[in-house]
Amino acid sequence: MFWKRRETELQRELSHHLHHLAVEFERQGYSQEEALRLANREFGGATQVQERCRDERRWAWTSGLRQDIVFGWRTMRRNPMITTAAVLSLALGIGANTAIVSLMDLVLWRELPVPNARQLVLVHWKGHGFPQELADGAAGSMQPEDGWDVADFFSYRAFAQTRARASSLAAVAAFTYHHQVSVSFAGQPTVAMERAVSGNFMTVLEVRPQLGRLLLDSDDNYAAPGAVVVSHRFWVRVLGSDPAVIGRTMAIDNTTYIIAGVLEPSFYGLGPGDAAEIYTPLHQSRFLRKGLGPAGNVLENPRYWGLQLLARRPAGVDGARLRVAMDSVFRSTWDKQPKNSVAAPSISFDDGRRGLGDLRKELRRPLFVLGALVGLLLLIACVNIANLLMARALARRNELVMRVSLGCGRARLMRQLLTESAMLAALGGLASVVVAWATVTVLGQFLAGDGGVPMAFVLDGRTLALAGAVTLAALLVFGLFPAWQASGWLDASWLRQGLGSVGLPQRRGWIRGRLFVSFQMAFSVILVMAAVIFTRNLVAVESRDPGFDRRNLVLFDTRPGTSAYDKARLTRFYFDLEQRMQSTPGVSLAGLAAMRPMNNGGMWDTVQIAGQTKRYDVSVNGVTPSYLRLFTAGVVAGRSFARSDLTNPPRVAIVSEDLARHLGGNTVLGRRLLMVDVPPGMKPPEYEIVGIAPDIAATSIKNRPFVLWLPFGGDAPAATVVLRTSQRPQAVLPAIRQTMGEIDRNLPMVDTVTMEEQISKGLERERMFATLCSGFGILALVLSAVGLYGVISYNTSRRRSEIGVRLALGARPRSVVSMILREGLGMALLGVAMGVPLVCLGAEMVNKQLADIKPMDAASLFVGVGILLIAALVATGLPALRAAALDPAEALRQE
Amino acid sequence: MAKKTDLLQGTLDLLILKTLASGPLHGYGIAQRILVTSKELLQVQQGSLYPALHRLERKGLLKPEWRETGNGPMAKFYSLTAGGRTCLRQETEQWQRYAGAIAMVLES
Repeated sequence: MFWKRRETELQRELSHHLHHLAVEFERQGYSQEEALRLANREFGGATQVQERCRDERRWAWTSGLRQDIVFGWRTMRRNPMITTAAVLSLALGIGANTAIVSLMDLVLWRELPVPNARQLVLVHWKGHGFPQELADGAAGSMQPEDGWDVADFFSYRAFAQTRARASSLAAVAAFTYHHQVSVSFAGQPTVAMERAVSGNFMTVLEVRPQLGRLLLDSDDNYAAPGAVVVSHRFWVRVLGSDPAVIGRTMAIDNTTYIIAGVLEPSFYGLGPGDAAEIYTPLHQSRFLRKGLGPAGNVLENPRYWGLQLLARRPAGVDGARLRVAMDSVFRSTWDKQPKNSVAAPSISFDDGRRGLGDLRKELRRPLFVLGALVGLLLLIACVNIANLLMARALARRNELVMRVSLGCGRARLMRQLLTESAMLAALGGLASVVVAWATVTVLGQFLAGDGGVPMAFVLDGRTLALAGAVTLAALLVFGLFPAWQASGWLDASWLRQGLGSVGLPQRRGWIRGRLFVSFQMAFSVILVMAAVIFTRNLVAVESRDPGFDRRNLVLFDTRPGTSAYDKARLTRFYFDLEQRMQSTPGVSLAGLAAMRPMNNGGMWDTVQIAGQTKRYDVSVNGVTPSYLRLFTAGVVAGRSFARSDLTNPPRVAIVSEDLARHLGGNTVLGRRLLMVDVPPGMKPPEYEIVGIAPDIAATSIKNRPFVLWLPFGGDAPAATVVLRTSQRPQAVLPAIRQTMGEIDRNLPMVDTVTMEEQISKGLERERMFATLCSGFGILALVLSAVGLYGVISYNTSRRRSEIGVRLALGARPRSVVSMILREGLGMALLGVAMGVPLVCLGAEMVNKQLADIKPMDAASLFVGVGILLIAALVATGLPALRAAALDPAEALRQE
Repeated sequence: MAKKTDLLQGTLDLLILKTLASGPLHGYGIAQRILVTSKELLQVQQGSLYPALHRLERKGLLKPEWRETGNGPMAKFYSLTAGGRTCLRQETEQWQRYAGAIAMVLES
C-alpha cells in the first residue's frame, strides 16, 4: 500500500515538472503538441529519473526484497511439486528434530519450575557398601559411582540435626520416595502416589500454592491434625477441579486428612514424570508410621535410614564449606562410630537444579541415540531440498543466463536465489511446528513416567526458537548450494553457449547430484537399519516365551489393608476373595500374590542353603496354593503349597527349577534355606524347601531371575489377584467386577489389565524406541526415494532426445528401462556400500540396549537393505518406464 | 545565451538548500530559481534534481508537502527543516572557505 502511494506521488511530481516545461515551450510559441515533445526531450528519460529517485529512498532495499519475494512466490507456484516436496521434507526434518530436542530438554536439561532452582542440592552420602554397623534398614537407592557407593538415604535424626545445625548455611528438607496409597474422596475410592515430606519441604523448594496453603512445620508433628497438599494434577483428576475442596477431608490409607492446599499447575514434582500427587507431613504419613523398621516407628529409630534430603544453598555459601559442616553433623548422629573411619560414609552433593535424576540417567543414552538419528533425518531432508533446488536451477538455467545478459547484477541474482531458499525455509519452518506438535503429543503418551503419569511435555517459546534456529541451519546447508552453483554458470562461457544448448550435459552438476543421492541413501541405510534392529528387538523380546500361556489371564490389585480391614479380618477377606473369584462364571482358576507379576521389579533377597556359603539373588513372591497352577501344570518335584502352609511367619518354600539346579537338583527337597539379607544380630528367616516349580518369567519378560516362592502371608495390606479365564478376558471382566462389588463395594480394583497388557506395559521404552525409529526410517525412505526419483526423472527428461534417437534406431524399450534402472540402482548401491559400515559402527553403540538379538545379523541387514533397494527400484522404475514409452518422433520433434 | 555551466559535484545540495531558504518551492520552481539567480549560468539537470530532492528528504533536511498551485494541479512543495537550516549554514561556511582557498591559490 505504502509503496504504491510513494510510486504514484513520484509520478505526479515528475509529470508536474513536465507540465511546467511544456507550458514554458508553449509560451515561446510552439504548438501544444510540439511543446510536449520538446519538454519530454529536455526532461530526459523519465523512467531513469524515477529509478534513481527510488534508489535514493530510504526503503530502497526492502522494495527490492519485495520484488524478490514476489518473484520467488511466482517461481514456487510454477513448480508446485518441487515446492511441496521441499517444504514437506523440511517440515518433517525440522519437526522431528524439534520434538526430540524438546524431549531431551525436558528429561535432561530443564530446571525444576521453582525460583532459583540452581540453588538446590541433592544431599547424598558415599561410602563402601551398606553401613551395617550404623543402620538396620534403608529405603532408597545405592549406586556405584567412581569407586564409591553413593546412597541417598538418611535417618530422621540425621535430617533433624542437619537441618537445625546447618541452618545458617543452607535450608535442608526431607522427603521419601513416593509410594502407592488408597485414597477416598467423597465416597469415591482410588489410588494415588504419596510422598511424605518434612514440614519445610515446600517452603525450601519455594513452590507456590494455587489454592489454600503449603505444608508447614506446624503440620509436621504427631499431635497436629493430618493435613495434605495435593498436586494440580490430582486436584483435576480426583477432586474434580473444585476450588471449594480446601478444608474438606480426604481419606488416605483409611486415615482422615484435611486438604490444606493445591500446588500450582507448573510444579510437576521433583522431576519430569514424577508420579507423586499428594504430599503429607513426615509425622502424619501412614507409610512411615506403620513401622517399617524393627523398632516400630521409622522416624524414632536412628538405625532406620529412609529419608532423602534436599538443600537450598544460597548463592554466597561455598559448597565445600557446607559439605564439611553437614558431614560433621551426619557423623554425630550415629549411635556409634565405625571401626574403619576411612570407609565411613561421608556427605556428597549432587546438582539438584533439575530434580531427581533417575529418569535422566536411564534415558540419557537412548535420547542421544535418537537425537543422532533424527539429526541424520534432517540432513537427508536438506540434501533432498538441495537436490530439488539444483534440479530446478538447472531447468531455470536459461532464464538465469538471460537475466544476466539483460544486465541483472550477479549479487542481485544470488540474492534472488537465496530469497527463494529462505522462503522455502520459512514455509518449512512454519509447517514444522505442526509436525513437532503432533510428534510431541504422540511421544507424551509413550513417555508416561512411572505410575503412568504423562510428562509435562509442551511446546514452548524455547522450542519454537529452537525450530527457528534449526531452520536457519538447514537454510545454510541447502540454500547456499544452488546459489553457489548458479554463480558458476554466470561465466562468460555460459553466455557464449547461448540459450539453445539444451542437450549438453553439465557433467559437474550432474555428478554432484548423483553423489548427493548416494549420500542420502547412505544415511537412509542407517535410519532404516535402526528401525529394523529396534523393531526386531521389540518383537523378539515381546514374543519371548515367559514359560506360561499369557492368554486369558487377568490381574488386578486390591488394597484392603489400607481400607477398612484390620489384620484379623484380612486373612478371612483374602480367603473369601479367592473362593468367590474362583466361582465367578468364566473364571477357571484364581490365585493371590503379594507382588504383582511381570511388573519390572518386586521383592528381592539373597538366599543360601543352611550350611553352605554360596549365595543367590532371588526374586521373592508370596502366593496362595493355587497361584502356581495359574501359570504351570504344577510343581516339578516335591509338593505344592497347601492351605495349612499359609502361616505367619511362613515356614516352607518352593524354588524355581534353575535355582534348584544350582543348589543340587532334587536333593534340595527338605533342605533348609536361609534368607540372609537381614540386619546383623537378627536371626535370618529359615524355610524348608518342599517343592521345585517350573521356570517362568515372574518379574519381567526381559530377564528371568531365580524365583523363591513363599506361602502368601494372609495379613498383607495389599495383594494382586490373578485369574485364569475360560474365555476372552474382556468377556469375563463384567462378572469379575460384579463379584468384587458384592464382596466390598468400597474396594477399588486397581490396575485391572490382562497379562498380555501387563507384559507390553513393561516394554514401553522399547516400544517407544522402535516406533520412533520406524517413523524416522519410513521418513528417511520416503525422502531419499523422492530424491532419487527427482534426479532420475530430471536426467531422463534431459536425455529425451538421446533416448528418442536410441528408440528410433531400434533400441528395445526394455534396454532403455534397464539402462535407467542400472543408473538408479547403482546410486542406491553406492549409498548402501557407504552406509553399512556406518551402521556397523553405530550398532556397537546400541548393543547394550538390545536384549535378544545381535544388532548386525544377516537377517536385519537383509531386511534393511532389501527395503531400501525396493524403494530405490520404485523411485527409478517410474521414470524409466515413462522414458521407455516415449514416442521417438515426438521426442525428436521437440528438439 | 551564455554557455551554461555544469554544476560542480556536490554543490547541487547546497544550491537547493539555499534556494529553499527563502520559502517553499516545488521541483520546477527550484530549477527555475537557480537558473534565474545564477543569471542563466547554472542549469540543473532534471535527472539530478529529483534524486537530490529525495535524498535530502530522506536525510530529514527537507519537508515535502502537497499544495495547490495557482492554476495547475497539486504540486509537491519542499521546505527546509530545522536540520536543513543548520546544514545550510555549515555547508555555506564550508563552501566559502573552500572557494576562498581556491581563489588564494589561483591568485598567488
